[in-house]
Amino acid sequence: MDVLKEGLLKLDPGLLLWTIITFLVLVLILWKAAWKPIVEALDARAEKIRGDIENAEKTRIDSEKLLAQHREVLDKAHSEVAQIISDGKADAEKLRNSIVEKANHDAKEIMDRAKKEITLAKDKALSELNAEIVNLSTEIAAKVIAKNLKPEDQKSLVEEALTKMRTVQ
Amino acid sequence: MIHVLHQVSSFFTSGGGHGEEAKPISAIVNHHLTDSVFTTSAASHLDKSDYIGRIFMNVFSGINETVLNQKLFGIFDMRITRWVLMMWMAAFLCMLVFIPVARKIKNAKMGSRSKWVNLWEVLISFVHDEVVEPNFDHHYVKKAMPYFLTLFFFILFCNFLGMIPGMSTATGNLAVTGGLAILTLLGMLGVGMIKQGPFSYWAGLVPHGVPAFVIPLMFPIEIIGLLIKPFALTVRLFANMTAGHVVIIIFLYLACGMFKSFAVGVGSVVGSLMIYMLELLVAFIQAYIFAVLSAMFIGSSMHAH
Repeated sequence: MDVLKEGLLKLDPGLLLWTIITFLVLVLILWKAAWKPIVEALDARAEKIRGDIENAEKTRIDSEKLLAQHREVLDKAHSEVAQIISDGKADAEKLRNSIVEKANHDAKEIMDRAKKEITLAKDKALSELNAEIVNLSTEIAAKVIAKNLKPEDQKSLVEEALTKMRTVQ
Repeated sequence: MIHVLHQVSSFFTSGGGHGEEAKPISAIVNHHLTDSVFTTSAASHLDKSDYIGRIFMNVFSGINETVLNQKLFGIFDMRITRWVLMMWMAAFLCMLVFIPVARKIKNAKMGSRSKWVNLWEVLISFVHDEVVEPNFDHHYVKKAMPYFLTLFFFILFCNFLGMIPGMSTATGNLAVTGGLAILTLLGMLGVGMIKQGPFSYWAGLVPHGVPAFVIPLMFPIEIIGLLIKPFALTVRLFANMTAGHVVIIIFLYLACGMFKSFAVGVGSVVGSLMIYMLELLVAFIQAYIFAVLSAMFIGSSMHAH
């Protein structure tokens, strides 16, 4: 057992006791002075980080919900805008058609009236011309033939002349 | 050149001692890897220019020879040794690091920007996530944290202090690792007896459903199993921390004590450097393993299984 008394394998009871004493004293000192505050601070920090992560998750979910809402609103607005535009286009088309139609109609009316007026004026002018011609020819005939003719013959002559004129016309 | 290397290596491994020629390798290993009590005669051997070392040595040897010269209860030789001093340095370093870091972490609500603080925070979170949390119920984690944080960082600092030339690895000693393992054992027994009740804890050591006649056989086996756990912790940490040092010393001895040739010197220094790198890794891994196994043992003694 010499190897236990001297050399590498020597087990000195005094050193063993010193080890235990030193270690226990160190445990007590560090417990009060170092480990307690360190472990508490690290725990508190871990707790805080966990809380922060939870909060962030909650905020993320909220904002995603909000985003979906906004997207929905935006989509609705888009479709409304498209509706309004197409409505506007249809209205404009209708308006344009009605205006054009009215214009056409008016133009036609004006033209008809003008035609009618022209016809009327022409008829009037013709009848006036007829009367004038009758008068003139009567006067001319009266002057030329003078009193040779009876009024009845004169009249039948005039009418003959008038028919001729009308056929010519 | 070899002479310089020898001087450097003997300083390296002995903490500035003067290397005598023709010592057997076992004596060198013993010299560097075993404990030594501070005595006035050892203090007088120190170099005259090493004022701080001499003051320390004289103070400790003074205390040893006046206050602590009696054995406590006849067995405990409480004289301050190199290894005790190394433990105290590790403990002091722990306080030096973690008390200011604690204040900074407490004050910085959003997390400190300092790389120094964040480094330790990462290690603390590592202990929390890898050591304590998998082995303890949720509401005991906070209560268990201080013990395992101290255990991890104390072993880590002891291991790394031992990597500095001139220092010694306190955890490369059976008494030190044994002391820590005894605390783990006491933790297992204490937690088990408090959480399960003193009687049911011992009864729970034997698995349920075994035939009655096997119980007298099982009980001693389970007791041995209980004791083997801290014993394995003791030996694992001790052996891991010692083995690397032994290999480094042997590598340097090859060059300085055995062959005394330049070529061997280059090879052995490269070899010892590689072992040194490996030891840096081992120092961290072993601190983690000791802490995580302690947590596993203590955590599993909370419930009957």
